Amino acid sequence: MASAPRERGPGTKRRVRSRTLAAGCALVGAVALTALVSLVWLPYDPADTSGGRLAPPGAAHPLGTDRLGRDLLTQVMIGARIALAAGLGATAVGGVLGVAAGLAGGFATRWLDDAFAVLSDILIAFPVLLLAMLMVAARQASLGPAILAIGLAMSVTVARLTRILVKRVLAQDFITAARTSGTSWPRITVEHVLPNIWPTLLVSLALHLGVAVLAEATLSYLGLGAAPPNASWGRMLREAQTTAFTAPVGVIAPGVLLAVLVVGANLVADGVRDVADPARRRS
Amino acid sequence: MKTPKKCLIGLVVGLVFTLASCGLEQASAGAPPGEATIGVGSMYEPQNLDNAGGGGQGATEALTGNVYEGLFRLTDEGRVENLLAESHTVSPDGLTYTFRIRDGVTFHSGAPLTPDDVAHSIRRVTAAASTSSRRGTLDMIESIAGSGRDTVVVKLSSRSISFVYNLSQVWIVNDAHEDLSASEDGTGPYRLGTWKRGSSLSLDRFDGYWGRKAANARVVFRYFTDASALNNALLTGAVDVVTGMQSPDALALFDGDPGYRISNGKSTTKLLLAFNNRRAPFDRMLVRRAVSSAIDERKLLDSIWNGYGSMIGSMVPPTDPWYEDLTHVNPYDVELARRQLAEAGYPRGFTFTLDTPTYDPHPTVAAFVKSELAKIGITVEINMVTADEWYTKVYRNHDFTATLQEHVNDRDVRWYGDPGFYWGYDNPQVAREVKRAERAGTVEEQTALLRKVGRRIAEDAASNWLFLYPQIVIGSSGVSGYPVNGLNAQFYVYDIVKR
Repeated sequence: MASAPRERGPGTKRRVRSRTLAAGCALVGAVALTALVSLVWLPYDPADTSGGRLAPPGAAHPLGTDRLGRDLLTQVMIGARIALAAGLGATAVGGVLGVAAGLAGGFATRWLDDAFAVLSDILIAFPVLLLAMLMVAARQASLGPAILAIGLAMSVTVARLTRILVKRVLAQDFITAARTSGTSWPRITVEHVLPNIWPTLLVSLALHLGVAVLAEATLSYLGLGAAPPNASWGRMLREAQTTAFTAPVGVIAPGVLLAVLVVGANLVADGVRDVADPARRRS
Repeated sequence: MKTPKKCLIGLVVGLVFTLASCGLEQASAGAPPGEATIGVGSMYEPQNLDNAGGGGQGATEALTGNVYEGLFRLTDEGRVENLLAESHTVSPDGLTYTFRIRDGVTFHSGAPLTPDDVAHSIRRVTAAASTSSRRGTLDMIESIAGSGRDTVVVKLSSRSISFVYNLSQVWIVNDAHEDLSASEDGTGPYRLGTWKRGSSLSLDRFDGYWGRKAANARVVFRYFTDASALNNALLTGAVDVVTGMQSPDALALFDGDPGYRISNGKSTTKLLLAFNNRRAPFDRMLVRRAVSSAIDERKLLDSIWNGYGSMIGSMVPPTDPWYEDLTHVNPYDVELARRQLAEAGYPRGFTFTLDTPTYDPHPTVAAFVKSELAKIGITVEINMVTADEWYTKVYRNHDFTATLQEHVNDRDVRWYGDPGFYWGYDNPQVAREVKRAERAGTVEEQTALLRKVGRRIAEDAASNWLFLYPQIVIGSSGVSGYPVNGLNAQFYVYDIVKR
């Protein structure tokens, strides 16, 4: 039996939870702002190698330069663009495919549903990164295939979650009532199923955003993501690894930004869950 | 009663000791002289144990001279000495070589070395199924025959002045031993201990060795895929010496520390921007020259190696007898490059795909090349390829426009005389001169001809030779006797001693 709501000041707990969402949005927003600014302004041409090898941070180059003399600030700004494109792109691919497959699985007849469950259980046993690496290695190593591969790999978990949520909703009495009154399945999906599963899906997709950003960075670190000279944070980490002791900013800058974006995405997920789930708000 | 916290501490301490004693087999310290275990750190794990069967650079590094020996030995200084051959004679026409093999040599299995083993070993390399990179250097062999109990006679179809040198790269193996890809039977001062794929390969001193015994009891090659992990292994004492430093910046960790010794030896490893000479636009010499002149190789070398390494203007490193400084042939001159490009019919430049191996330093070099060529209107699209993909796509199928690749061997300018090689450079005059050089009667004649070849390919800009790697070996100061040069990737370990 659900517990009765406790007495508290009006909106106190909700305000605390909103702070989580606000913090997450601020972190992701900061990266997004950096990416947007990079579209219209960059301190230097990313191909400009005139900065001198491993110049320390200074007025001309606030974060210093890399081995080739390229401005690091310019590179991390472009890296923000790539990280967000990879994160949002892969999440969109994973979300669209996963939700579509999950809905199909949820509404499927028994043997189709069983086959779906077995297939997703098998695919889910492979880590997202491993699947993505296999797909990229089979095709071509660049950002587009990497996004597609991460999205496809993620779609399995999204599909599985969607299927479970759909099944749960379809077992409710109001669905039986809707069917009895002659409502079509598409209408039931739009009017009853989707509104009931979206908060959980949104939380899941926000969490997947962080996973996708990390997966792209890892692929780029391994040379299977964005091709040079695109300054993916993962590639920057790889290239700066050998100079970590002599020029640590090359490692710290992309590393910190990567952490900011992933933590931000996770906080957004927490915040969305708290705001969207009335049961959690009351507990 | 123990508290959970104490239990946890005990568990962690126990785990650390277990790992220290079992998992991490540290290089031995304090062992008597001659009984030490030497740890060698390397980035090049063998693909398999057969250098004529695709074992790669790792098989050569760990096994040549250590487990397997040739009739001759190429010393770390680049001299060729007798090894399993006691002596040899050459007929006046230069077509018959008679080798007398050393008496009393046995394989690790106990079988004695016979002329049949020598004949079998050479045939392994020249066989049609051989994937040895040395196969082409021995294709003039007409017949090999044993004679008596210690003589081998090799007849050639044409003179080969490098024949003895080339034989120094051929392992002598027991002809009764069938699979060399996973086990060994050589005559060297070590026998193979254990090979843990992905981790290490150990060599144990062979007490029945025919020559001077190894100065240490055991050598463990530890393999790393990451340069930072390799450096850390040296810093923590997990290895005593690393076979080749991958980054000049890591030297800051060791430079000035009396606990380590840094050697800057001679290298034969060249980094090439290799054009596909069969395919437009690189089938035109002026385009190749324009690209060569548009890239500031000095700046690239300084960026990657920070003062180490050197520039070369052709395929010939200074350790080859026919070396000539040709860096002036295609000087860095952006205006000249623009003019050449316009003259070649590309005043507005063009776009091409650069197949780039995913491992360092190629991606960084590719970014630099792209940035440099943008100055003359050439757009470079970088296509990342794994090592396997490179082998299939570029090396075997010749399906590329341009690529980046390292070439490790010395005396490999001869590849420009082979139009079937992956870069497809087809200059009949060069092919003729390479052939004539190999058939030369004297070293002077060979040197003069190959010097001409080096100059000709530089003038044709057959490839763009970006730079010559340095060969930086770092060892603990208590360890000595290791080779400091990187000729042909070999790394003799039998003289290494640890105080």
